[in-house]
Amino acid sequence: MAEQTSDTELLALFRDPATKDKAFTEIVKKYQERLYWHIRRMLVNHDDSNDVMQNVFIRVWNALAGFREDAQLYTWLYRIATNECLTFLEQQKKKASISLSEVESGLSNKIRADKDFDANKLEWKLQLAIQQLPEKQRVVFMLRYYDEMPYEEMSKVLETSAGALKASYHHAAKKIEDFILNH
Amino acid sequence: METSKEILTELKEIAPFLGGTAILRPPYGLPAGYFEDFAEILMYRIHLEDAHIPMPDAVQETAEISPLLAKLQKINTYKVPEGYFKAWKAEIPPPENNRPKLVAINTGASPDKRVSPLSRILKYAVAASLVGLLGITIYTINNRNITDPLHGLTTVSDQDMANYLDADDVHWTPGIAPETASVEFTDNDIHTLFSNVSDAELEQYHPDLPLKNGTAN
Repeated sequence: MAEQTSDTELLALFRDPATKDKAFTEIVKKYQERLYWHIRRMLVNHDDSNDVMQNVFIRVWNALAGFREDAQLYTWLYRIATNECLTFLEQQKKKASISLSEVESGLSNKIRADKDFDANKLEWKLQLAIQQLPEKQRVVFMLRYYDEMPYEEMSKVLETSAGALKASYHHAAKKIEDFILNH
Repeated sequence: METSKEILTELKEIAPFLGGTAILRPPYGLPAGYFEDFAEILMYRIHLEDAHIPMPDAVQETAEISPLLAKLQKINTYKVPEGYFKAWKAEIPPPENNRPKLVAINTGASPDKRVSPLSRILKYAVAASLVGLLGITIYTINNRNITDPLHGLTTVSDQDMANYLDADDVHWTPGIAPETASVEFTDNDIHTLFSNVSDAELEQYHPDLPLKNGTAN
């Protein structure tokens, strides 16, 4: 509840031209890590993630004045970040004239190319397993497993019913378990 | 927000192995101090885009970011053959005479090639007149009626012909109509021709004609 009040205060400060910059900087600092890791887990590469992060916050800067507090600020931010990531992946697919599955295998290659990559370590196996998932299941799994997001909030981010998200998470977790145990 | 414990309990039911381990944080690294600088860099970019601040000069900008790079900027690592730029010539076009003849296409856009409306009308009028004259000539030639005198006579009734001959006192004279003049009649021919004509009829035609006894036969 304290977090929600804090967001409300920040939004009020943002609407005041005198404190707009300061309020926005606070919002960025408050959410940057959570959003960064959400983006990074989807895009793997840091430079791509940094570009998308900046685009997300520029979108937020332009649209925040019109943000109605029907939803929580963090839900809205996640929604923008998720959409930006999916748009980025779609653009990559178009640029390279390759299918989304090839983009996904490209993401796996990026994981393997990481200087710290260790195929025997469980956390790296988990990352490879996540990249094997279909796009929607991947997002659902990451929001649930890493961000511990309740299904109700997730349904606002992804505009999907909580029941469908629960089913997606179930399938995703099963596939990941199979991948880890068999690789 | 649900706790990690709740998430793991749920996960353990679905995937016992994965749920049995602690949440595995992504092993990715990121540049040192990234989050400390991010907000500042972002705000700089936002203000740059909002204020449309003119971009700094390339040399000045490089010097501000890295004086070392600014020094290296002018040093070219690539080399070209000696005298390359002196010897290099643009492709010379062929002399004027050898150039292929260009045929101007009158688009009407060039002021010096523009035709005045009066000249254009006159040109079309002359062309139309010639076409009309040619048409009339061809029509006249094709439809010229060559009158056949014999054909005309068939349409004239005997009475009209008789009236004409009486009124104009036309006399047939040998030599004027050589075709008929050349025909020579013998007595037998006369008899044959008038075999079906009675004396009364002959008398009616010419009362003064001295008839022999009996018919002309």
